[in-house]
Amino acid sequence: MGNVVQSEARGAVRFSSVEVCGNMAGLELLSDQGYRLDGRKATELRKVQARMGVFAQADGSAYLEQGNTKALAVVYGPHEMRGSRSRTRHDQAVINCQYSMATFSTAERKRRPHGDRKSTEMSLHLKQTFEAAVMTQLYPRSQIDIYVKILQSDGGNYSVCVNAATLAVIDAGIPMRDYVCACTVGFVDETPLADLCYAEESGGVSSLALALLPRGGQIALLQMDARLHQDHLETLIEAAMTACKGVSKVLDEVVRQHLQESSVLSGE
Amino acid sequence: MAADMRLPSIRKAVSLLDSAFDRKDLVVPGDVITSDTGFMRGHGTYVDEEKLTASVAGEVQRVDKLICVRPLKTRFNGEVGDVIVGRITEVQQKRWKVETNSRLDSVLLLSAVNLPGGELRRRSAEDELTMREYLQEGDLISAEVQSVFSDGALSLHTRSLKYGKLGQGVLVQLSPSLIKRQKTHFHNLPCGASIILGNNGFVWLYPTPGQQDEEAGGFYTSLEPVSLADREVISRLRNCLLALAAHKVLLYDTSVLYCYESSVQHQVKDILKPEVMEEIVMLTQQKLLEQEG
Amino acid sequence: MLKSKTFVKKTRSGGVMKIVREHYLRDDIWCGSEVCTECKQESTVLQRDACLESSLCSYPHYLIPDTNVVLHQIDVLEDPVIRNVIILQTVLQEVRHRSAPIYKRLKDIIHEKEKHFYTFTNEHHRETFIEREPGESANDRNDRAIRVASKWYSQHLKTSKSDAEGLKVVLLTNDSGNKQKAEESGLLVYKCEEYIKSLIANPELVDRLALSNDDKNEITASKVLFPEHLPLSRIQAGIKSGSFLQGTFRASRDNYLEATVFVQGEGEDSKEVLLQGLQNLNRAVHQDVVAVQLLPRNEWVAPSSVVLQDEGAAKDDEAEEEEEEKALRISAAEAARKPTGKVVGIIKRSWRPFCGMLNLSQIKESTRHLFTPADRRIPRIRIETRQAATLAGQRIMVAIDGWPKNSRYPNGHFVRSLGSAGEKDTEQEVLLLEHDVPHQAFSQAVLSFLPKMPWGITPEDMVRREDLRQLTVCSVDPPGCTDIDDALHCRELDNGNLEVGVHIADVSHFIRPGNALDKEAANRGTTVYLCGKRIDMVPELLSSNLCSLRSNVERLAFSCIWEINHQAEILKTRFTKSVINSKASLTYAEAQMRIDDTSKNDDITKSLRGLNKLAKILKRRRIEKGALTLSSLEVRFHIDSETHDPIDLQTKELMETNSMVEEFMLLANISVAQKIYDEFPDCAMLRKHPAPPPSNYDILLKAAKSKEVNIHTDSAKALADSLDVAKVDGFPYFNTLLRILATRCMMQAVYFCSGMDSDFHHYGLASPIYTHFTSPIRRYADIIVHRLLAVAIGADSTYPDLMDKHKQSALSNNLNYRHKMSQYAQRASVAFHTQLFFKSRGILNEEGFVLFVRKNAIIVLIPKFGLEGTVFFDSKDKAGPNLVFDEEGPTLTIEQHTFHIFDKVKVTISLDDSNIQHQKIRMALIDPVIPGVSVAVPEIEPQAKKPKLDR
Repeated sequence: MGNVVQSEARGAVRFSSVEVCGNMAGLELLSDQGYRLDGRKATELRKVQARMGVFAQADGSAYLEQGNTKALAVVYGPHEMRGSRSRTRHDQAVINCQYSMATFSTAERKRRPHGDRKSTEMSLHLKQTFEAAVMTQLYPRSQIDIYVKILQSDGGNYSVCVNAATLAVIDAGIPMRDYVCACTVGFVDETPLADLCYAEESGGVSSLALALLPRGGQIALLQMDARLHQDHLETLIEAAMTACKGVSKVLDEVVRQHLQESSVLSGE
Repeated sequence: MAADMRLPSIRKAVSLLDSAFDRKDLVVPGDVITSDTGFMRGHGTYVDEEKLTASVAGEVQRVDKLICVRPLKTRFNGEVGDVIVGRITEVQQKRWKVETNSRLDSVLLLSAVNLPGGELRRRSAEDELTMREYLQEGDLISAEVQSVFSDGALSLHTRSLKYGKLGQGVLVQLSPSLIKRQKTHFHNLPCGASIILGNNGFVWLYPTPGQQDEEAGGFYTSLEPVSLADREVISRLRNCLLALAAHKVLLYDTSVLYCYESSVQHQVKDILKPEVMEEIVMLTQQKLLEQEG
Repeated sequence: MLKSKTFVKKTRSGGVMKIVREHYLRDDIWCGSEVCTECKQESTVLQRDACLESSLCSYPHYLIPDTNVVLHQIDVLEDPVIRNVIILQTVLQEVRHRSAPIYKRLKDIIHEKEKHFYTFTNEHHRETFIEREPGESANDRNDRAIRVASKWYSQHLKTSKSDAEGLKVVLLTNDSGNKQKAEESGLLVYKCEEYIKSLIANPELVDRLALSNDDKNEITASKVLFPEHLPLSRIQAGIKSGSFLQGTFRASRDNYLEATVFVQGEGEDSKEVLLQGLQNLNRAVHQDVVAVQLLPRNEWVAPSSVVLQDEGAAKDDEAEEEEEEKALRISAAEAARKPTGKVVGIIKRSWRPFCGMLNLSQIKESTRHLFTPADRRIPRIRIETRQAATLAGQRIMVAIDGWPKNSRYPNGHFVRSLGSAGEKDTEQEVLLLEHDVPHQAFSQAVLSFLPKMPWGITPEDMVRREDLRQLTVCSVDPPGCTDIDDALHCRELDNGNLEVGVHIADVSHFIRPGNALDKEAANRGTTVYLCGKRIDMVPELLSSNLCSLRSNVERLAFSCIWEINHQAEILKTRFTKSVINSKASLTYAEAQMRIDDTSKNDDITKSLRGLNKLAKILKRRRIEKGALTLSSLEVRFHIDSETHDPIDLQTKELMETNSMVEEFMLLANISVAQKIYDEFPDCAMLRKHPAPPPSNYDILLKAAKSKEVNIHTDSAKALADSLDVAKVDGFPYFNTLLRILATRCMMQAVYFCSGMDSDFHHYGLASPIYTHFTSPIRRYADIIVHRLLAVAIGADSTYPDLMDKHKQSALSNNLNYRHKMSQYAQRASVAFHTQLFFKSRGILNEEGFVLFVRKNAIIVLIPKFGLEGTVFFDSKDKAGPNLVFDEEGPTLTIEQHTFHIFDKVKVTISLDDSNIQHQKIRMALIDPVIPGVSVAVPEIEPQAKKPKLDR
């Protein structure tokens, strides 16, 4: 009190700078020129490379790289029920999935005990995905084991697992309605981004994972944890389906290549 | 112990002939084989919106109106009369369960075996109690498919003296599609060992028995030590089998024998080296062609 | 098309982590030039004839600036002359990393089509990507990347077939090492200064050049004046350990050697640290985020009450300075001492271009001059210009480039001129800029979202809306209002009850979420009303035509319709989108006349009477609940229609109809607030008015006590009641004065998002919940509320940002900020017009009341003009009279006379234009007569130009 107060100073003047833009500090996920962090455009997938039949011992096996995410899938079966007989289904085969991550798969080395919550959930998702695609009714009272291991993780673990497991199941000669192809998509600046890498996934994007039977366009599994406005869901699913179809083209090539190689070898 | 290590090498691309690329008979799951409704749906196919669609990746085979797709690799689909090699997994009331690389464990009924000593009689309750003495979990047997149950499980029998419990030897597990169907799957190879090529992809290598002991009834197992020479022959054969399998060469007595002959210049343990493997298999294939031609 | 390339990054977070990221290299990134025939680009940005008249480059050329050039010379790049510039991705990313505001400006330039700025994604181009070499620093790598990309461009343009033009690229860099390397690899490279100075046709650009570090040693003596700022890492460590405090630097308005740092603590834990003396201020500028270190307790001082302005010519003479600093240190009572500290480092600068005027250097040929910002809290800035003669007497904008530790003043550069000082347009521009009011014309992008004219209501609109065209709706507004956003109706229903409707312009029908028009409106937040000028929130087509509920045209409306009985109890409320046709647009006075004129009995009048009757009941009930009726004097200028100068000034008069309209607006706002909150408890945009802390009322209580009146401030209701009974015989104006004081005690009402706060109460209106619904044309909050309500009644669909409480919250912060700034701008505009008015009127003698008593002054309110002014009793140059200030009263005794609050005084009012930057109204005491203090009653000479007054 007691200071000279000029006539315009009425009450305390409190300025606060307003930052209207949301994540200025974070990474720019999509540049104005339409390129993403790693130089892809919004709809472009990462480079997918795969090989089938990498193990002699298993009934089916495959190795798949989607960018820097690398997964190994192995299929045993169909075979007699092992373990608890009570799970036996008399009209169809039981699919048993196990998902795990190698200790060295992430930037930070971490021991991953079996059956932690995340991998149990992932295993369940894989199981549901393949129950939708594999013709289990042909194998009553048997069991099909699908084991997937992430060797290196760089986003889209679920999708890469599904894609690898599809190849392994085909390699095992187990009948499926169609390929199951999966892809994650995220939503940034009103634009869906296909096949997110880890930097994008952790950049606060609401992402959605979709597994699709591409030919018929049936959805085997759709999963999303983040909040997204209802209006955007359709465009996002649309984008995911397109991305899945892109994946299916690549897988198709891999399978046909493998088929021809093997049939040539088996002496025709 | 010396271990053989090598750097990763680039996988050799299989040279595909142009004709191989547009082979119409290779399909993948979801491929429509035909939309003609006049065909019958066989294995590896399903009907989706009146279209016959493949459900596995493989070769289309047509027998009259029946279309099926044969996958390149699959579990063993047994047929009556097939010779199999299998392993006992369980002993149940009046039956054994046998793991035969098919999608359900096969069944060997107590009534479908020859009792030791070749006795022919009804099986008594006492026999049920002594089942484990004949065959217990982990034992290997050779058998023949007697019938196929409705759920696809196989019923086996060992009612021949050539079948029964297996003694000393080596089991090699391969893909069933590599085993060539032949009149006989039991061979005494001139190199000094015998082989049972099970249709289910299980191959049994064992020293050729000295005298055919008719009395054993399939349950006699010799526990005498096997000579080093025999063991070496068996090991070489095993590695030859793996080499042939790696190159998808059909297995039968001649192919195995030629392969064995081609491999003699190498040490047994070297056979599994990829370049040696390739060389041996090449030689084998040439010999087979010569023999055919 | 894709080439993959992985590289390894190491970051520290606890330990060393190996991060592998993919980096795709592409061959489908085009060069963006019109000339190029190779690239398969769909549209080109860079022009064929990229001609700039330069004495260095006589050929057409594209510019490639490096990161530092962009960061430091953004003002030059913004100049319309500079076109055809290639911004490399490397540069863009670095800028983004280094400075968010400059990044935003750069992006704005890139988006402007006229500027022909092209962003080349060189980091993903197959031929221009480079990998960091072992031992190479990140900066060196980026410099190399820039050189490689420039090289690529020069070769690429050479190979394209139509080389007739001889197009070249010119790299601009200020780094001599980089320049040398670029020259070695055969690139055309210039320093930014060099290049800009070579633009012979545009010499004015040179002034916009920021001073780069190389130049600073010539500008000032190398003597170090200030302590070094600590590096950020040490500041962070210090803050963590508690030895430093982080806060916002606030310079004092009155004393350039004093400032406070507001340290935000948890909850009530905020505190202020006092800073005194240039050394301790250590080059911090108002609003910067700084780190301060507290001084030992024995060095603490009390805030001084001395007014010190940094005036006169550039001071390099410290003797004087030290004296001034000494003056600060005198006589501080132990108790009055406050925590005192010194600035040790700057965490974040908040420099923006400042408005102000140039002080010409005394040396005639000098190109360096001092610039005095209009805002007294900003230090003077040294700039270099050759146009000083032209700029003198003009309002200009200047940006700060830096403040080296050996310079008394910050260094800056000229940005642009606003016009000559004292001119109405210039001053208006200044006050808009200083209050951060976006006032540019609407861009084409924004205008493209306007409905196409002629516009009419389509049958589809009718299907989805209720047809209320037959109702007798009318609007009541102040005279001259063109943006009518509300209209009313009232009619008797068959069951004897009344139906009352409030119809609000349906602005959200025209402004769809997320488009440029919406974004612009959200950013502007509110329409700003200045004297004689309106800065619209939405383009005029909407504000004054399509949305304005003018009479006798069909308009889209959002209606809130109640069924009310004659006791003014609400029986039913409903909301609907509608079409109305207003029957009359009335002013308050016209409406009042209709109500009073008993001979009129038409529908409109009947409707008005019904409304008026209900409004009175509603108002009474509201006041019973404890709503406050506060008072502030608002003035209206009568503006000359030709010169736009104010010719008269009157306080606004309130009529019954004012309160009638207000009553129904309040009712509608409350009803809507309840509805949207019920529907969206998480994301409703509401408005609250917090109860003021009891200490705010001190001044009111003291003032009332001096007239032996008791005011109760326990609750709003108690306050309202005691204000109602507060009367002093023979002093009819007392009550109004009290209410003016009470208004000053209040807190600001603010918008907020219901999901982010739990206190919804509106203190002033005594309502548990409140929002703004009734003025969507001039307030953005209302548009949001309209959208929420539309979703709630199923008339419109929702969109993501509407349901996101964090986005809503950020939006309400912006709206609150804009709202506050618009009020300040409004006041500043009134103050300026008051000055203009007094300039034309010369000296006036008026009666007034003492509103506040200060240590060395009294503040006087002139009711006739709603004008408030300070009468000073001391001055810097001569010994003042004997002043005794009693804080308890508060009273001020001068010689023999004692001033109390509410004393009636007579003053003479004149305009003091001795300082053209800060013209002000000067008041001097006439009555009571105190020898040596009061002045003689001057002759009233209306056209007197410069009256000399004795203080």
